[in-house]
Amino acid sequence: MSRFLPVASSVYRWLEQRLPVASVADYFSKKVVPRHKHSFWYYFGGLTLFFFIIQLISGILLALYYNPTQEHAYESVRIIINEVPYGWLIRSVHSWSANLMVGTLFIHMFSALFMRAYRKPRELMWVSGVILLFVTLGFGFTGYLLPWDTMAYFATLIGTEVPKTLPIVGDWGVSLLKGSGEVGAETLIRMYSIHIILLPLVALFLISFHLILNQILGSSVPIGTQVKDPPVPFFPNFLYRDLISWVLGFLVLISLSILAPWGLGEKADPLASAPLGIKPEWYFWPLYQSLKIIPPTVFSINGEMIVNGVLGIMSLFWLLIPFIDRKASIEQKSRPFTVVGAALVLYLILMIGFAYFDI
Amino acid sequence: MNDLGKPVPSSPTRRDFLSRLLKFWSLVTVIPIGTAIIRYVTPVQRDVDVRESLRVASVQDIERNTAKIVRFNKEPVIIVHTRTGQFKAFSARCTHLGCIVQFKSEGTPHFICNCHGSQFDINGINIAGPAPRPLSPFKAKVDKSSIVVSRI
Repeated sequence: MSRFLPVASSVYRWLEQRLPVASVADYFSKKVVPRHKHSFWYYFGGLTLFFFIIQLISGILLALYYNPTQEHAYESVRIIINEVPYGWLIRSVHSWSANLMVGTLFIHMFSALFMRAYRKPRELMWVSGVILLFVTLGFGFTGYLLPWDTMAYFATLIGTEVPKTLPIVGDWGVSLLKGSGEVGAETLIRMYSIHIILLPLVALFLISFHLILNQILGSSVPIGTQVKDPPVPFFPNFLYRDLISWVLGFLVLISLSILAPWGLGEKADPLASAPLGIKPEWYFWPLYQSLKIIPPTVFSINGEMIVNGVLGIMSLFWLLIPFIDRKASIEQKSRPFTVVGAALVLYLILMIGFAYFDI
Repeated sequence: MNDLGKPVPSSPTRRDFLSRLLKFWSLVTVIPIGTAIIRYVTPVQRDVDVRESLRVASVQDIERNTAKIVRFNKEPVIIVHTRTGQFKAFSARCTHLGCIVQFKSEGTPHFICNCHGSQFDINGINIAGPAPRPLSPFKAKVDKSSIVVSRI
């Protein structure tokens, strides 16, 4: 072993003359993570990143066999599941990891909200995080159609109609998503290219931005929380803890993927009536359920338009929270934002519950 | 500064000029490029063979109190053979969010949409659920034992 050390050190010297490894390492070594009673919640950002990396790897593998055409999409997924060695596992991991990623992302986001991690100087971390939430939901929506089974087909049929009540751009938005007058071959190729080219590029850029900000600004401590001394050095102490959470995340992921492998429904038939139980993925259930329970017109306004309007206003509000919550930015408690956050969590849970039990 | 202690204006002026030129160039290129991209991603309405009427099924295909979904141009159309022997045709797209409706023959015959639970009566009128409008009607007539669907 010791024979290799001179080689290693000469490689290091060679590198050091071309890339300042030592000063970069020194910069990273100064990063610390504060310790306090809420520091448990810090792990969920890292877990979300872990599931994203799994998505990249499993997605690249799936793309080797998947065929994004209306004739062959379903069949290619069937071949991946039934014939390609371990194909069922890769596909199952991709679907489960997507769901786990959305789950950890929601936990990460709401913990950041309740701990006011968005307050000055971390406004841009919040904003990039919220855009990453939209990107993630976009990943979910565009990926859902790709297997081209009945559920995927009808869920996309509904989803692509959602923008139609938007003023001025409504019809254009629908045609932009569908790529033609109906959900068909053009829609599939659009969803596919958005899913594997556009969104991954945007996500990688935003994640890098989010992580660089985290490196520069460090982790936020909730207002008025007692910090224990000394803080945990990020390298290697906190990284090891993060890795433990990744191992646990991996165990959950692999158990789900093996014990409850993701299935494939019947091939979509555009001339068949929608069967019972057409639903999007669980993270779209609050929207699905809201669209289901809203009457056609409320005070002579179209119901869907109300849902879309509320969704649009909420999204904008969510994005701009750091700039609206003036109190938190001067380190004062801002209770209304806890109330709003808790109300939203309650609404999401209720709607997901209603949708689950088909109420 | 030159050797007389006066500022030399030429190089900043040239930079100013070029940067103004660059800003102008950016502006005049961003707009057409943006327009081109927006036009590119907006799907074109291709000329499909639009038929005014279409022989879609034969009378024997659809028994009384049942329905069949056929494609008329690009539209899925549901044709119902009523208990009284009439043929009615409607767009099968739910007016809520575009799912394909289903004919229910039990009790009072009606249409349901399984996606969000909208219901329509036998004349296509929305009677329950979130659907905001009746199903769009089509004309269905029997011509030499086959059913011909046409626009109204």
